[in-house]
Amino acid sequence: MRIRRGPPPSTAVRGPVPARDTAFEADALAQLDSLYRTARRLTRNAADAEDLVQDTYLKAFRAADRFEPGTNLRAWLFTILHNSARNRVRDQARDAVVVDSDAVERAAGLAAGTGPAAPGETPESLLLRETLGPDLQAAIDALPEAFREAVWLRDVEEFSYAEIAAMLSIPVGTVMSRISRGRQGLYERLQSAEAGRPGSIGRQPSPVPVGQTEE
Amino acid sequence: MNSCDTINALVTPYVDEELADREREAVDRHLQRCPPCYQRVAAEQAIRGLIQARKPALRRECASAALRARCAGLEGRAAPSARIASSAAGAVAPFASAWRRRLAPFALAASLVVLVGGAFVYQLTERSTTVMAAELTADHMKCFAVNSVLGTRQPLSVVESSMTGTFGWDARLPENPESGGLELVGSRPCLYGEGRVAHIMYRYHGHPVSLFMLPNAVRRQSLTSVMGHECAVWSSGGRTFVLITREPRDDVARMASFVQASLARDIK
Repeated sequence: MRIRRGPPPSTAVRGPVPARDTAFEADALAQLDSLYRTARRLTRNAADAEDLVQDTYLKAFRAADRFEPGTNLRAWLFTILHNSARNRVRDQARDAVVVDSDAVERAAGLAAGTGPAAPGETPESLLLRETLGPDLQAAIDALPEAFREAVWLRDVEEFSYAEIAAMLSIPVGTVMSRISRGRQGLYERLQSAEAGRPGSIGRQPSPVPVGQTEE
Repeated sequence: MNSCDTINALVTPYVDEELADREREAVDRHLQRCPPCYQRVAAEQAIRGLIQARKPALRRECASAALRARCAGLEGRAAPSARIASSAAGAVAPFASAWRRRLAPFALAASLVVLVGGAFVYQLTERSTTVMAAELTADHMKCFAVNSVLGTRQPLSVVESSMTGTFGWDARLPENPESGGLELVGSRPCLYGEGRVAHIMYRYHGHPVSLFMLPNAVRRQSLTSVMGHECAVWSSGGRTFVLITREPRDDVARMASFVQASLARDIK
């Protein structure tokens, strides 16, 4: 799949590009929320996510002439976002993306871990019943970065394997294995969270801390 | 012939339903006689299904109006044809935090535009009623948690005029909810999907009951159990109503028809 013609704009910032289709900017800005949510997952921090998104748009607008109209603008923007995130981590020499090797091991050893489900219950129905959006979000944010990014791009942003592979500059097989490990890691985390929860069904709704679902 | 190693690479596309028939059948056959692979597939399917179901919540987080204004301003910086922020932004280094503060007034203006433009349009999503019920149940729990902290109460007249003001809905809520065992707590506008829904809170023998009204949405009538709650769904007058509580099914059905009968005075 062909996503872009030139190399993705990285750190180089060039002078203003004179003539551009205003539809390009409008289409690019329409991706703002998606890019921001993905930036939140990559940085796990609102201020860094905002800077990252702004950085992404600056590069995108300045490289607009290198975007081939009719190709996948959304994937192009996410490529810039991904590269910007990597550059920032490198520039700041800050290890924001520690790979949690324990989590990888736990994910790999998943098959042995989980007990049998109650009759009529599938793992899916159990998780669906017990896991709310904020729990899931927290579990995703707790994944090692490579897995977190792959699962997010696939399952939430709905990119194809090929698009993600082009975006991250990795083989399609690696994309699939990261998605797989990410999902298994999530399953593991949510299952153990479930097991650690006190008897949940009572007359009153379980208290949800104020502001947990809103920022 | 199909060892786990061979199947391994096919598991994720299998879960994502992206395999050709022959490959899918090969995986199916392997799964029937390999419990570890079966369990792995079940786990991946569970997570994929969960993320699909919770996608509205995962996508609820949006870029702030300030960020939106800053990014739109970048476009102005590159092309002099100009946006509102370009003159303010031009003199300042792009990543300076001072920039953010200077643009705050524009951000406020942008947020007002966004509110006027989009907030009251509720678009029906294609998600299943169960997923909608689960999402609203989460809001039900959250709003009652907030209410129990704040302890606010609103009289019927305030709730009804807020419905008219916010949603253009001349709500005819039950005038004597006590006769149905209900006690009015108050109302909140909740964010759901692409817009706002009305959330009217009651208590039934002290236990929380929520009535949601989704404008411009029609759903089939149903009574669904989700996350330990019972959810009665019905539509009338182009609006969908969802009543959620943890009470027994029969009580829920009774409450729903009580509220429904009262609201029906609205629809001639």
